[in-house]
Order: sequence, then C-alpha cells, then structure tokens
Amino acid sequence: MSIEVKNLVKVFDEKRVIDDVSFKVNNGETLAVVGFSGSGKSTILKLICGLLEPDSGEIITSEGDIAMVFQYSALFDSMNVADNIAFALRERKDLRNKYKENDIKRIVAEKLELVGLKGIENKFPSELSGGMQKRVSFARAIVTEPNSILYDEPTSGLDPISSTLIEDYIVRLKDETNAASVVVTHQMSTITRTADRVVMLYDGKIVFEGTPEEMLRQDTPYTKQFVTASLDGPMHMMTE
Amino acid sequence: MQSLRKYYRQSATYKIFSAIFRESISFLDTLGKISENAIDVIKYLFKGGIDKKELIYQCDRFGISSLPITLSIVGMTSVIVASQVASEMVKQGGGNFVGLLMTILIVRELGVIMAGFAIISMIGSSIASEIATMRVTEQIDAIKVLKVNPIQYLFVPRVLSGMIMMPVVVVIASVVGVLAGAVTAKLSSELGYRAFFDSMWLGIYMKDLSVSIMKSICFGATIALISCSCGYYAKGGAKGVGEATTKAVVWSFVAIVIIDMFFAIAFFF
Repeated sequence: MSIEVKNLVKVFDEKRVIDDVSFKVNNGETLAVVGFSGSGKSTILKLICGLLEPDSGEIITSEGDIAMVFQYSALFDSMNVADNIAFALRERKDLRNKYKENDIKRIVAEKLELVGLKGIENKFPSELSGGMQKRVSFARAIVTEPNSILYDEPTSGLDPISSTLIEDYIVRLKDETNAASVVVTHQMSTITRTADRVVMLYDGKIVFEGTPEEMLRQDTPYTKQFVTASLDGPMHMMTE
Repeated sequence: MQSLRKYYRQSATYKIFSAIFRESISFLDTLGKISENAIDVIKYLFKGGIDKKELIYQCDRFGISSLPITLSIVGMTSVIVASQVASEMVKQGGGNFVGLLMTILIVRELGVIMAGFAIISMIGSSIASEIATMRVTEQIDAIKVLKVNPIQYLFVPRVLSGMIMMPVVVVIASVVGVLAGAVTAKLSSELGYRAFFDSMWLGIYMKDLSVSIMKSICFGATIALISCSCGYYAKGGAKGVGEATTKAVVWSFVAIVIIDMFFAIAFFF
C-alpha cells in the first residue's frame, strides 16, 4: 500500500468540501479522482501532499516522497528548465550536499529524456508550449524518485494530441517508477487511458468507486450522468 | 426586534463600525503573520545554510539596481532643501552653519528615510509582486511539495540582502546628498565650498553615523520582511497580486516612519 486515505474531512467556511472520504492506492496503481468542478478533487490532492491539513481523518503514505504535478505546471518562471528540475536537488536540506553539479546535470538530462524533451535545459518556461511545460513539471516531480505521484488535471487545456502524449507519459512514469499515482481529472480520455480504478466525487462524498470499464457501463445514475455529460441526474453544478 | 436589528444593520453607524472592526482584524492578522515570519527568518539566519547564489542576486537587486533611483531621489531632495535654506541662512548671517545643518539633516534623517522610500517603491513593490505571483501561480505550493522551506528559500536571502545593502545605499546616498547640498548652496547663495565643508564637521559625531547605519539595517530588514510577507499571503489572481503590492508599499512606508520615530526618541530626544 502506498497511499491510504481514511474518513477524510475538510471544511471550508462551514462547508464540508471533503466529507468522510476513504480510498487506497497501491504501488504501481493509478487512481483517477473524477467529478464536477468544485467537487473537492484538487482539495484531496492538496491534503495528501500536505499543502492542507485535514479537519479529521487520516492519510497514511508509505515512506518516501510524494510528488505533485500542478494543473498549470507551476514551473518557476525565473529559472530555466534545468534549474527547475534541479531545484529540489540543490535546495532541499537532505539532498543539498548529496549531489555534485555534474551529477545534477546528468540527472536533469535523464529526466528530460524520460519525458521526451532532450536538450531543452536552457529554455525558460515562457518559451515552451503548455504540453511541454506539463512534461517539464513531470520531470521536476520525479527528480527525487517519489513513491507517489499526484496529478492535478494534467490534460486540462491541452489539445487532444498533447493530451494523449501526457496520458502516455503518466502510464510510462507509473511503469518506470512503480509509484502510486492519483490523477484528478474530468477528461474521459485521461480516465480510460491512465486509470486502473476510478472514484467519483460529488458534494465532497464518493458516489462511485470502480474500474473505468465499470464507470463506462453507466450502471449508476452518477456514472450515467457523468459519462453522458447530461444536465439531468442526481448531480447539480455547485453555484457557490 | 428583528426588524430593529435589520434597520440597525442598514445604518451608517453599523457600516462604519463593522468596517473598522473588519480592518482592525485584518491589521492584527497581517501584523501577526509578519511577526511569525520575522521569528522564522531570525531562526534560519542563525541556523545558516543560506543559498549564497540567491543572496548575491538579491544583494545586487536590493543595492546595485536601486542605486541610480535612490541617489537621484536623495540628491534632488538635498537640492530642494539646500536651495530653500542656504540663501535664507546666508542672508540672516548663518552662512557658516549651512554645511552643518545640511549634513545633520541628511545623515540623521533625509538620507535614510528618502533612500527607504526609494527602496520601498522600487524593490519592496517588486519583491511583493514577485512573491504574490509565485503564490497565485502555485509556485510556492510547488516549493513546499518539493520539501523546500519557502521562508528559508524566499524570505531569508531577501531580508539578509536588505540588511547588508541598505546601509551601503544609505552611506552612498548621504555622500551624494551632502555634495548636492554643497553645490546647491554655492549656486544659490554663493556660499563657498570651504565654508560649507568646514562647518559640516561641527555637529556630526560617530553617534550620528552609527545610528544612521543601525536605522538603515532595520529599514532594509523591515522593507524586505513586509514585502515578502504581503506577497506570500496574496490571494486570488492579478487583483490579489496588485493588492499585495499596494499593501506591501503602504505597510513598509508606515513601518519605517514608526521605526524612524522610535530611533529619534531613543537617540536624539
């Protein structure tokens, strides 16, 4: 087991954004967390990686790093690609004196090659396309060899071909690192091409849990409404 | 009873008091956060492990990049004061004290406070908007997820560079200010350079210089700390960045005037 979430609750302004959510993700497994915008998907990722503290419940992760790929990449815009990827190796207290500059250069080149962006070390994030920025943020996330990788809407805002490329890299990274992955998304192609299991959130609660195939069978009113993108069904867009 | 409460809530009195209450809470909240960050920065300053490359970059930004504007502002302020004062003092028979007056004014107050204002406008606002942009684009979250302490990485080099470079800027600005005063006095009242520079040393002591240096170290640390803190707690998008920058500038202005007042009371009262 790599990530286990037990009875998680998060309250913002007296609203339970995450309401008694529990799930497990094993090493080498990818879990897709799906749901409408505002259903609490990204909040779950922030709770797992420690950016937010839960109001109650428990998050158990196996030893090792948790990496996160942010929705808008969150690359450091004042640094070039190489410095972005090398950031943790140079600045993290426990890694700062572990690597020499030559080792760092080699690791950066390796990670860039892994995401198919060999030779762009000196470019700045503003010189890259959205898809390339995402792939650089993948490289930055895996530089510390994490046990768990969290993806926050990795394909949102990308064209279909770039989305496919990113989805392929999510699968490839899982295979190469054997990490437990959690992908927050509402894009069907990302769910079907990357996930082993799916949990669907609505109003902070899990309303469906199963495989992508089970979700596509539309056996529950929730999966039916989500897959058919219908306005009719038990889920309503949150207005607040 | 309920309609009375509703009526009261619509009244100007209620709106004024609730606005004052909200602002007071916001003020205390900001003050608390800045104090908390100050404690963390002091802790990390003593712990060491400061990124030297980043420190040099921030020193260059704080001191060297801001120097032309700071020198211009202090120089021009000195010209304004000297042109107002010199001719009048010469007329009243106090020409021998123009150099003394200008030097005391510049070393004790004008050099430090005007340099502080220039640094706030140029560097403080830039630090606040930079860190606020990092906050709203999730770059600070990325730093945290990569297990790097954002206070240590972002605040410490900036605060330390403020403490190192502000005195340097103030000393250079004060020299330029005194020279600009001497030239202006000469041009506006035909007071000789010799008379200006001879009187300069009459009332200036080591205490004035050391207080000026201490004050500039406090100003540098305060400006950097407030600017970093206001940026760090920015919320929202572009509007949040703008608000954080404005807040950093206003808070820094008020803070350095308050610090200046305490120094004046403590050393010259």
